Amino acid sequence: MIRIEHLTKVFGGEKVVDDLSFVLEAGTSTALIGPNGAGKTTTLSMLTGLLKPTNGSIRMNDTQDIRKEIGFLPQYPNFYPWLTALEFTEMTGKLNGVPSRDAKKQAERVLDFVGLTNDRSKKTSTFSGGMKQRLGIAQAIVHKPKLLILDEPVSALDPVGRREVINLLKQLQQHSTILYSTHILNDAEEMTDQLLFLKKGQLVEQGSLKDIRTKFDSFRYKIQFTSKEEASLFATQSQLPTTVEESYAFIEIKDGFPTMQELMSQLIVLPFSILKVERVTMTLEEIFMKVVGQ
Amino acid sequence: MIDINWALVAPLLVIQFILFIVALIDLIRIHETNGPKWVWAIVIIFLNTIGPICYFIFGRKTS
Amino acid sequence: MKTFIILLQKEFRESWRSFKFLWMPLLFILLGITDPLTNYYMEDILNAVGNMPDGFSLSLPDFVPIDILMASTGQFQSIGLIVFVITIAGMINRERQNGTATLIYVRPISFFALFMSKWVVGSLLGILSVSLGYAGSMYYTAILYGSVDTMSFIQMVMSYCVWIVFATAVALMFSAIFKTAFATTFTIIVIPFGVMIDSLIGQYWHFSPWKLANYSVQLLSDTHNEYYIKTLLLTIILLILAIIIGILFTRKNAGTTKI
Ligand SMILES: Nc1ncnc2c1ncn2[C@@H]1O[C@H](COP(=O)(O)OP(=O)(O)O)[C@@H](O)[C@H]1O
Ligand SMILES: [Mg+2]
Repeated sequence: MIRIEHLTKVFGGEKVVDDLSFVLEAGTSTALIGPNGAGKTTTLSMLTGLLKPTNGSIRMNDTQDIRKEIGFLPQYPNFYPWLTALEFTEMTGKLNGVPSRDAKKQAERVLDFVGLTNDRSKKTSTFSGGMKQRLGIAQAIVHKPKLLILDEPVSALDPVGRREVINLLKQLQQHSTILYSTHILNDAEEMTDQLLFLKKGQLVEQGSLKDIRTKFDSFRYKIQFTSKEEASLFATQSQLPTTVEESYAFIEIKDGFPTMQELMSQLIVLPFSILKVERVTMTLEEIFMKVVGQ
Repeated sequence: MIDINWALVAPLLVIQFILFIVALIDLIRIHETNGPKWVWAIVIIFLNTIGPICYFIFGRKTS
Repeated sequence: MKTFIILLQKEFRESWRSFKFLWMPLLFILLGITDPLTNYYMEDILNAVGNMPDGFSLSLPDFVPIDILMASTGQFQSIGLIVFVITIAGMINRERQNGTATLIYVRPISFFALFMSKWVVGSLLGILSVSLGYAGSMYYTAILYGSVDTMSFIQMVMSYCVWIVFATAVALMFSAIFKTAFATTFTIIVIPFGVMIDSLIGQYWHFSPWKLANYSVQLLSDTHNEYYIKTLLLTIILLILAIIIGILFTRKNAGTTKI
């Protein structure tokens, strides 16, 4: 278990990370979510020991040097171009205390895991972005760290690469503690026990995906018209609070009101056609916008 | 004409040649250089000794 | 200790794969053999180039071996030293600037081990280059001008190596403190320019690290230099100081690595 208390970082008078407190339970995955510039990278850098906190503490059960217990994948990992993937992974393993006789085997194992078996003897200068990201994961797990810290692990990847990396992370999730940052919320939805919403350095909301959903999620009616004009016309006419997006009108359901029947009674008198009516939940992105927008 | 003892001068030429060849082979094999490769090729080929040394110091990319 | 060995291996690998252990010694050998050769052929060259008026006779001084070794030292101290310290002054900061340091710094390494691994490899590169350079110079000097006492020669080379090791420490110290451009500039000012400045106005003091090279060559002559030992000691003390400052700044600036 890792306990973070009152973590603060000031850059040139500005609080880039402002009084964060949270707990990472062993075996869970936590997503640090926030738009660009929210302070995600700065927070993770403090956890890795790269940056000194201006204030606050990071404590891991009876561990002095937290660097021994973590594996870190930076947002843009950079490798020595004159080393091969295997040499690099082996070296980083040894630096983390993997015994010399096991280091090579262990490095081969993690490179197999990330799918670089055939490229392991190539110099990293020849690697593509996706290969670098996978090598980055390999070097982060080669010493079997207690905590895996990943800074935007999939943001820079194309859809195929993203899928591959997410699948890798899902496997890792089963037997490690993970903290990762992202500004893409669909990723977070797939693999998270705890969510931390960060806005301008402040933790604006935290909890499990389920808790946050019950707290902020609301059901809405989504009505599709044939044009934006018709949707807008409906919005002005109806007595319900309605928002319009393209040819859709949205009506929030508060305490069960309005009911489908009530909505229907208003729709049925409209002089133009309705293509579709459905009851929808919010995406995590919409919840996030709602939380952060407060 | 200067009466040159070639046995004395030969090592000088050999060293210059080694620098030239190693720099050129490395340039061909390296993935990327600081600045265009062809410029370094010209530098290595036309600037005796200084060219290869400059390439090794400034031309090779380190990340 | 274990991380030191691993980092040392990494530094050797880098220097070897970037051919530093090839081209640096070759450069110093070239510098070393240039002076004995050109001085030997100087008269011929001048005669061939210039149309000397009749009756004009050029009298070049008669060089003795120590003059030639002094001239070679001058080459090492200018071109050789500039090239050498430029190479060393990028060893720490460049890794921070291009972000390769990040994946090293997040591991449980000591910055003492990190700095020392670079200092050891840089020093060995310098020692190898200088030794081969002097060997080349001595070889030609012995053929063309005559020999010197072997023990004194070895002493001179070792003494000069102390200076190179000092230069390595200073360059690395600046590399730990500043970004590449500044570190390179400061190092060039302090080391090769420092030598020049000391030779211009250095008659007012008798010992400084910048005099060590000249004092080293003087070991070949019979005159006893009472300031040599003090200069050597001062250099070693400043060398240790540079290492300590360098280690402190390597740790302090670890957070400036591109993340
Ligand atoms: N070394 C630094 N010096 C000054 N400001 C910084 C530094 N690093 C980050 N910042 C600022 O801190 C804020 C948060 O940055 P960052 O942690 O990288 O955000 P994120 O990773 O969430 O996009 C940004 O406004 C950025 O400009
Ligand atoms: Mg970031």
